[in-house]
Amino acid sequence: MAAVVELDRISKSYENKIAVKDLSLRIEAGTMFGLLGPNGAGKTSSIRMMVGITMPDSGTVNLLGKPFTRESLKQIGYLPEERGLYKKMKVMDQLIFMGELRGLDKTVAGKRAHDWCERLQILDAAQKKTEELSKGMQQKIQFISTLLHDPALVIMDEPFSGLDPVNAVLLQDVLVDMKKQGKAILFSTHRMDQVEKLCDAICLVHRGEAVLSGGMREVKSRYERNRVIIDFEGDNAFLQHPSIAEFKDYGGHVEINLKPHADAQSLLHAAAEKATIYKFELMEPSLEEIFINTVGEKVDA
Amino acid sequence: MRDILLIARREYQEQVRGRAFKITTILIPVIFAAIIAISVLAGKYSGSGKHFVVAANNAALAEDMRAQLLSDKDANLTVDILAPASDSDREKLVDQVSQKQIDGYLWLTQDANGQTTAIYAGRSTGDFSTASRLSGALDKAILEQQLTNRGLSSDTVTALTKGVKIKTRQVRDGREVDSSTLGSFFAAYVMAFLLTFTVMMYGMNVGRSVIQEKTSRIFEVMLSTVEPKSMLAGKLIGIGAVGLTQLAIWAAAAAIFSSTAVAATLMTGEFQIHVSIPEIILFAVYFLLGYALYSTLFAGLAATCESEQELQQYAPLAAVPVWLSFSMITFIMSNPNSFWSVAVSLFPPCAPIAMFLRIASQFPPIWQIALSLVLLLLSVVFVVWFSSRIYRIGILMYGKRATIPEMLRWLRYS
Repeated sequence: MAAVVELDRISKSYENKIAVKDLSLRIEAGTMFGLLGPNGAGKTSSIRMMVGITMPDSGTVNLLGKPFTRESLKQIGYLPEERGLYKKMKVMDQLIFMGELRGLDKTVAGKRAHDWCERLQILDAAQKKTEELSKGMQQKIQFISTLLHDPALVIMDEPFSGLDPVNAVLLQDVLVDMKKQGKAILFSTHRMDQVEKLCDAICLVHRGEAVLSGGMREVKSRYERNRVIIDFEGDNAFLQHPSIAEFKDYGGHVEINLKPHADAQSLLHAAAEKATIYKFELMEPSLEEIFINTVGEKVDA
Repeated sequence: MRDILLIARREYQEQVRGRAFKITTILIPVIFAAIIAISVLAGKYSGSGKHFVVAANNAALAEDMRAQLLSDKDANLTVDILAPASDSDREKLVDQVSQKQIDGYLWLTQDANGQTTAIYAGRSTGDFSTASRLSGALDKAILEQQLTNRGLSSDTVTALTKGVKIKTRQVRDGREVDSSTLGSFFAAYVMAFLLTFTVMMYGMNVGRSVIQEKTSRIFEVMLSTVEPKSMLAGKLIGIGAVGLTQLAIWAAAAAIFSSTAVAATLMTGEFQIHVSIPEIILFAVYFLLGYALYSTLFAGLAATCESEQELQQYAPLAAVPVWLSFSMITFIMSNPNSFWSVAVSLFPPCAPIAMFLRIASQFPPIWQIALSLVLLLLSVVFVVWFSSRIYRIGILMYGKRATIPEMLRWLRYS
């Protein structure tokens, strides 16, 4: 089956800065894809080329299995990082307008907008002007306008920034639902922790180039599980075990980094001999750690 | 095409429902009527209600002069007579003027040969309407006096000195029609002002709308669906339609008003205002082209700005052609076919206003109108080319104002 998005070595430079260099990626239907990297890494520039706001200097963009055409854009929902709504327009009018622009019929757009407002609990606000609403409400409206035309590809640039946890979960659930319906969802964010559990595949970008990409499990399996967290009571002499490279002891809770290729199971045995173990977790590396590992720099989260 | 219409419709609805539209629709005609009324009344009543003393060595002349001055009912003057007057009286008069008991005095001296010298002294010397009123009255008084001295009866004198009022007519389409210089001046003035005002206001409106979309960051969403040129075209069409709507409302209101009895009394005599069908069509054409020129220019400028305040800084620059046209208003009205009038009316940024002044005073040769329209159209095409390129790039540039070299580089893109 053809990928929903396929970028083949796209590059883009502005004036005197290379924004994106030879970036290739594939996003399959029914998956969530994380485009990750620090601010200024080239994430937004890459997305702009996917949605036809700018054109790549070289390389090709395929959408929905075909070379890029503006017609395909009607199948895409894009939520930019810089949120924008018409301030003076009523919420419902705005949603219908955005729906119509994406090719929906006026009545269909109205019906769907109503359903979405109900689902996201903002039906009360539907007849208000956008400028009268809170930031969080405006976020939800923007979110609805992105999804109203039932796009095959949803692109979300920093989707959870500025949302309270309750609403973040609400939106997250919607996206998980859409994934189950076979939509492709692209997240772009510098907050890797936020999307780590959601993404099926990722691409880490740094200074315009992909430094790491692939399926989430596959990427993680490339890195050793070398972090251990132990909650315990009793003797902490096991901290002198030869497999430990370094540790932080918080008293009853230690965080340990193992030496390369160390045997975690022997550490568990040693610890269990002297102390009561409540929790022993061999952690897989977080995306952020992997990123730092790969580029050797701190992410400006 | 559907995108353009959707965007135009949105823009139109938002503007027409906005408060600014309602306020200007009502306020502009009111302000207009007020300005015209004030200038007419001020002209009519300037120098009125004054208190003069006519001092003369000849009492009969002083009496005639007083009668002449009082015959002008609009002036509403108070005139005292001091005759025969001596030099000591003159000092008293000077005192009275400086103590503001009177506004001024007219000192008449007539020698034995009937030669008259006249001196007017008052606090203000720049009061032209008083000076011309006095001069006219004095000429007439002396003429009547001389005729009476030559033995004519007072009835004959009155008949002889009765002024003749010139009735102006205009030759249009090879026929002579009733007109008035004042009426066509006002028609031209009103139309030129309306044209300028609406072209500039709606041009600025487009700029402001672009800035608002830029600051609210809505471009990013919109551009992932529609092309920049559709956005720009939709915006221009939508806001232009708002301008036409407003003009249509004013035209309808004017038509209704002119059919009422109030208008019938106001529009008699000197205030007959003629607006012909070709004038209305040309008004619409010049509005559309002028609007296209200024609005695309403002759209391009706005795309390079970061805030509405920045855009405002450009406004005086764009207003230069308007000042130029308006500073030439009396020149164009009185010399509609002179070289400079023709030149200004062909110069595209000034054409809508200047040509309209010429059309209203004397219909210019068709080729000149056609040429000005062609030049205007060409400059619209150029500005659209220029602005749409700036616009495409500018709307996605956040953070800093574009410099001229940057804009020139943008022109080369794509």
